[in-house]
Amino acid sequence: MEQNVLLSLSHISKRFKTEQALKDINMTLHQGEILGFLGPSGAGKTTTIKIITGQLRQTSGEARLLGTDSSNIDESIYEKIGVVSDNSGIYKKMTVWQNLYVFAGIWQVSRERVEKVLTQVGLGEHRNKPAGKLSKGQTQRLVLARAVLHKPRVLFLDEPTSGLDPSTAVAIHRMLLELKEEGMAIFLTTHNMEEAAKLCDKVALLHDGEIVEFGSPQEICLKHNRNKKYSVLLEGDRELVLAQNPENVRKIAGWMERDEIMRIHSCEPTLETVFLEVTGKDLNV
Amino acid sequence: MNSLNGNVQTMEMGGCPGAQRAGNLHKLAAVARIKWLCISRNAMIMIGPVLVIGMVYVCKILYGINSGGTLVPFLRGVLLNIGITMNICAEGFIMVGTSIAEEKESHTLRVLMTSSITGMQYFIGSILFPFVMLMAVNYIVLFISGIPMDIVPWIPFFFVSMVVSLTSCVLGMIVGICAKNQMNANLISYPFLMVFMMVPIFGNMSEALHKISGFLFTGVMTGMTECLAAGETYVMSPLDMAVLFGELLISVLVFLVLYKRNGYEKD
Repeated sequence: MEQNVLLSLSHISKRFKTEQALKDINMTLHQGEILGFLGPSGAGKTTTIKIITGQLRQTSGEARLLGTDSSNIDESIYEKIGVVSDNSGIYKKMTVWQNLYVFAGIWQVSRERVEKVLTQVGLGEHRNKPAGKLSKGQTQRLVLARAVLHKPRVLFLDEPTSGLDPSTAVAIHRMLLELKEEGMAIFLTTHNMEEAAKLCDKVALLHDGEIVEFGSPQEICLKHNRNKKYSVLLEGDRELVLAQNPENVRKIAGWMERDEIMRIHSCEPTLETVFLEVTGKDLNV
Repeated sequence: MNSLNGNVQTMEMGGCPGAQRAGNLHKLAAVARIKWLCISRNAMIMIGPVLVIGMVYVCKILYGINSGGTLVPFLRGVLLNIGITMNICAEGFIMVGTSIAEEKESHTLRVLMTSSITGMQYFIGSILFPFVMLMAVNYIVLFISGIPMDIVPWIPFFFVSMVVSLTSCVLGMIVGICAKNQMNANLISYPFLMVFMMVPIFGNMSEALHKISGFLFTGVMTGMTECLAAGETYVMSPLDMAVLFGELLISVLVFLVLYKRNGYEKD
């Protein structure tokens, strides 16, 4: 096994009765890396997490999580991974503290660790509040706190910021980056390209169960930057988008000489435009 | 595959076996604690034992108004039968079944089963509190029914009560495995209630029902309580023994078949 590879998928396919959910999925996740799995609803993101974490069996191919074949993993693997699924439940009648403390009992985590995580996610002052009375953002932070309580080596997050307000999403992003710094590998599914570009070291664009692009967000965007363009803001708030050609280069040089350019930058495609270009479909569907 | 899908692998017993055992006990205790917190805060479930105890107490007072507070053996038997059978059936099936269904509804079952809990730990943790509750209510009902305590054969009562409560809890697990939500759990419980609760309760009214009742685990319990109420000595027959253990075994087997097929929750 390659050093620091915590997760590897090799030719994974999954077929439900009439539907091919995943086709020949290949990828690896290393320690301290965030891997984004991008795709619209129904693309196969959750199915992939379920296969990796042993909740579902693949039709063919091999998934290895922490060196163990996913189809042969037992419950002990869950002591080393954290899973936040799209409908991760909380015990609504228990307090925030109890929600964490019962899981601390399962993983034999100290009270100090529970306190630390509670503070880290900003729920310290809500510790005695029934979890059912938390806002959506607070609930998501509680779910995340529970998933990282036992310091897992790999964290699986299925749409962690879906439907959250921007400030909560930013707080969660900050926390994920901190966890990454601590060496945790994070497998993140999302259909939010900005989130993926901001957080992920590598992304896989998933379409109809197939990976259509894989690499770092920058690599992918540059790869699809075929028609190079520049955005130029001239004096008098005149904004132009110019294709790269000798005539426009001369124009830009002239404006530069006359000091008429207020701002200039290249226009690479975003992950969203790449996805649209590759699949012909929008990610937010 | 994890225990959510019913394909439980044996836990690796690496490292110190003592530490492993301690870890398993911690997990079991954590599940039992979760169940205790969930069940004790679910008014829909907790109203049951209170109702059973209240009903037996109130009926005892009402039946005794015209006889200076003392009940005739027949009425004591009826009261004890109703109380204990209702407790075992309504509480056992519903308390265990509904609590699993509640976890499915709130998606916490999946969370729990992906937190390194084994199927067996979840099973034992789930029935521990309801089992203790059933046993306690059986004794409370016995005390308040007015049966002279000196005629109670404590060891056989404890033994029968224990096996019957355990069978009821396993049947509750079957209800929980089959149910999608709490409403569904109640619905699935009804056929069990009709057979295991109604037949022994009305066993005194018909010879045929009485015979059938003798083949039910709850019927064995009511047979014992009838003897107690009549002031007779209860002797466990081989048939009673076979019914008690046979039905416990069948319940466990049915549970295992269902668990192997879909786990606790069908994907």
